[in-house]
Amino acid sequence: MTTLNWKEGDLAYDSSLFVRGKGHFVDDLKIPGTLYMSVLRSPYARARILSIKGGINGSELKAKMASVGEGADPSQTVSIQPVFATGYVNYVGEPVAAVFGDDRYKATDLLENVEVDYEPMKPVVTIDDALRLPPIHEGMKSNILVQSSRGSDFKDPDSPIVLEDTLENERVATNPIEPRGIVASYSDGMLNVWVSTQSVHSIKDGLVESLGLRPDAVRVMQTDTGGAFGSKGGLYPEYVIASYASMKYGRPVKWIETRREHLSSTNPGRGVRGKVKIFAERDGRIMGLKGDVLVDAGAYGTGIASFSAGFIAMMMTGPYSIENGYVIGRSVLTNKVPQGPYRGAGRPEASFFIERMVDLLADELKMDPADVRLANMSDKPFTSPLGMKIEPAKPFFESAVRELEYRREAKLTNGVGLSFFVLVPAVYPGESARIIVKDGMVKVWLGGNSHGQGHENFARKLVNEELGVPESIVTLFRGDTGMTLDGVGSWGSRSAIVGGAAIVAACRKIKRKVEKESGNYSPELLLSGSYDEFVYEEQKIPLNSFGANLATVEIGKLGNVKIKKCAAYYDVGRALNRDMVIGQIQGGMAQGIGQTLHEGLYYNDDGQLITSSISDAGVPLAEDLPNFTVKIAEHRSSLPHGAKGLGESPTIGVPTALIRAIEVASGKRLRKTPVTPEELIQ
Amino acid sequence: MSLSKIKLRINGKEIEAEVEPRKLLVHFLREDMGLTGTHVGCDTSNCGACTVLLDGRAVKSCTMLAVQADGREVTTIEGISSGDDMHPLQKAFIEKHGLQCGYCTSGMILTSFWLLSKNNNPTEEEIRKAISGNLCRCTGYQSIVESIKYGAQLMKEEEKGEQEIRVR
Repeated sequence: MTTLNWKEGDLAYDSSLFVRGKGHFVDDLKIPGTLYMSVLRSPYARARILSIKGGINGSELKAKMASVGEGADPSQTVSIQPVFATGYVNYVGEPVAAVFGDDRYKATDLLENVEVDYEPMKPVVTIDDALRLPPIHEGMKSNILVQSSRGSDFKDPDSPIVLEDTLENERVATNPIEPRGIVASYSDGMLNVWVSTQSVHSIKDGLVESLGLRPDAVRVMQTDTGGAFGSKGGLYPEYVIASYASMKYGRPVKWIETRREHLSSTNPGRGVRGKVKIFAERDGRIMGLKGDVLVDAGAYGTGIASFSAGFIAMMMTGPYSIENGYVIGRSVLTNKVPQGPYRGAGRPEASFFIERMVDLLADELKMDPADVRLANMSDKPFTSPLGMKIEPAKPFFESAVRELEYRREAKLTNGVGLSFFVLVPAVYPGESARIIVKDGMVKVWLGGNSHGQGHENFARKLVNEELGVPESIVTLFRGDTGMTLDGVGSWGSRSAIVGGAAIVAACRKIKRKVEKESGNYSPELLLSGSYDEFVYEEQKIPLNSFGANLATVEIGKLGNVKIKKCAAYYDVGRALNRDMVIGQIQGGMAQGIGQTLHEGLYYNDDGQLITSSISDAGVPLAEDLPNFTVKIAEHRSSLPHGAKGLGESPTIGVPTALIRAIEVASGKRLRKTPVTPEELIQ
Repeated sequence: MSLSKIKLRINGKEIEAEVEPRKLLVHFLREDMGLTGTHVGCDTSNCGACTVLLDGRAVKSCTMLAVQADGREVTTIEGISSGDDMHPLQKAFIEKHGLQCGYCTSGMILTSFWLLSKNNNPTEEEIRKAISGNLCRCTGYQSIVESIKYGAQLMKEEEKGEQEIRVR
C-alpha cells in the first residue's frame, strides 16, 4: 500500500468531488514504475491459430476464466473461456496476446511486434446458425450450452383464441461512460488490485481461481466506478493478464479499455429471442402460455448466459395469474463476445415477451389493453406455474392506471402504451457489511459496491436511524476485500435491500455489545468506545415489487419517433433517499428508451462487429429524450428498513410501454427492439 | 521520438513543456500535468468526457494534439474555481443531483460553462442541444438540464450581488 498516492480519505464515496474533477477513477491512479498493457485481439470471428510469436500469450499463460459474479455458472466445463485464445479464436475482440510498455503509446506501438497466423473458419453468427451448424467447441454435441424448462407441459386448452408470435431484443452494449480498467501491483508476495467494479469479491475470487493464488495473497480495491450497468460485475481476461504480468515483471500494470474494445470485448446484454403462444378466452383471460426462449450466449459459457435461459423462462407469465405455463429456455453458442448482464439481465426480456403478447390479445379482442391486463390479475397472492411467487397484483395495477392517468391519455392520444411488470430482485444469497466505530467516527464497508447509485446516502441514513449518531460522522468506503471477509456485489436491484439489511444487522450487533458492556445504550456511549463488526446477512425470501409505465408518442413522416410522455409508477418499498430513487428511475428510463429506439450491437455475416463507436451503439443524447414523469408508491417490504428493489424497474417497464405506443401510432405490429424508422414507414 | 516544445496557459498558469508530437491533449493534461479531472470515455469525440475550454470554447481534448494547444489558453474543470470556493455550476450540479457516477460531470460542466458564457438564459431546448455532444449513461439528462438551469440562475444572482457591492 506504500506505493499508492491515495490517502484513506480518498477511499470514501464522495460525489461532491466529481464536480471539481477530483474523483478517484482507476485511470487516475498513478504508481511509479507502472507498465501499460495493450491487448492484441482476434480480428476474426472464428479461426484456427497456426502460430503466435511475441508478447505474453496462451503458450505462456494457460489460465482459464473463473465463472464469478452475477449469474455465475461454475458447472460449465467444456465451454469455459481461456484467458488467452489457444488453438482457436472464437470472437472478434478475443484476447490473443498482451504487450507492455512504459506509457500507453509505447504499449500500443508494441502490438506491431506480435505475429499471429490465422486460418479463418466459417463462423456461427446467429441463433439460427447455432441451431443448424456443428458445435463451435470440440467436445460438445451441439451449440446448445444449456437447456432448461419451467412449468410442466400441458395439453392445449380448448380456448377460442390462440395467438403465437416471435419476439426479439437485439444485443445492447452496456456502455458506461468510463470504460473498464484495472491496476495490478504485485510486491512482497501480495497482489494488490484496483479496479472499476460492482464487486471486489467477485474479482478477487476470480483471480484466486484463475491464477491459482492464495486468497490471503490477493486484495482487490474498488476505485470510483464510472457506471457499469451489469458489465463490471465479473472477471474479464484482461484482469487475469494484468495480474499475471505484474507478478512476472514485478511492476504495477495498468490496463484501460478503449471504447472500441468495450464494444468488441465487454459482455453485452440482451440478444434474446422468444417464441410465445397464448391460449385465451373471449373475455381476455389467458388460460395458458407456452414459450421457447433462445439466448445468444456468445462464444463461451463463463458468464450469465447459461443462467439467463431458465431465469427468463421463470418470469414469462409476468405479474399475471396464468394457471398453465410451460417454457423451454435454451442458451446457444455463437462466435460473438460472450453475453453478460445488462441492467435488467433477463427481466426486460421476459417482460417484453409477455407484454407484447398481452397487447396482441387486446388487439385481437378489440379490448382495451388495461382491461385485458385486469382480466388476468388477482387480488390474492399467486404462485405461477413457472415458479414465481407474486403478491396480489390487482390493487397495485388499479392505482397505477389512475396515477398514470391512462384512461385520459388513451382517450386523448392515438399512440399510448401501458405496461405492467413484477421486478424480481437478486436478493439471494445476501450481502455483507462491516462497521468500525473508532475515535468518534463510524466507518462502513459493503460487500457490494456502488457505481453511481449513491449507496453512501442509505448507509448514513440507516446508521443514523439504528445507532442515533449524526449522518455527518458516518462514512461509506469503496469496496475493499481487505476490509470485508466476504461479500457479493451490486447488481440485480439488490443493494438497498441486502446491503441495507446488512448495515442494519451490523448496527444492531454493535448496539447489543454496547448494551452488554454498559447496561444501556446511548450514542455517546457508542462513540466513546471502539467497535468493529462484520456481518454477512443472508436473504432467502424473494422480495418482488410491481411497476407500471406509460408512454405516448407521435411518429414523423420519416419514421422518427417523438416521445411525448414517458411516465413511471413503481413500488420502491420505503424510499431511503427520494432524490437517489428518482435519479435511478430517470436514468433507467433513458436506457429503456435507448434499447427501444436506438441501441444495438450488430455483426455481419462473417461475424465482424459493424458497430464501431459509442454513437453507433445508440446511447441516447440529451436531445433524444423527454422529461420523465416519475411517481412512486412506498409499500414497505418485510425487512426492518422496508426497502425494495428499483434499479432495473425502468429498463423492464419502459421498452414494453414505449413499443406499444409506437405500435398503436404506426398501426404496425412490432416484434423487435430496437424499432427502426425504416420499418415504421415501409 | 523527437519532442516538440510547447508554451501555453493552463488554468491561468504559464506552462512550457516538451511533448511527443503524437500525444493527445487529454493525455498531456492528465498524465504530464496531473489534471485527472478531464476524462477519456470514447476515443471518437462522441462522449465529451474529455471536454476542456480552449480560448474559452468547449473542445474535446481527445481529438486534439497537445502541440495544437501551443500558444493557446486551456481551462480544465480544476481551473473554474479555486480552493474551497465553487463555481455556481459546480454548486448547482451537487444541489440538483446532476450526476450519479461522476464520470461525465467535468465535461458536462465545462460545456454548460461555455453555453452560459454565450447565453446566460438558455431555454431547456437550447440546453439539451448544447449538451448533446456530452453523453451521460446514468441520469437520463433531466437532472443535468435542471442543474444547468439552476447554475444559470445562481450565476445571475452572483453577478447581481457583485454589482450591488460595486454600487455601494
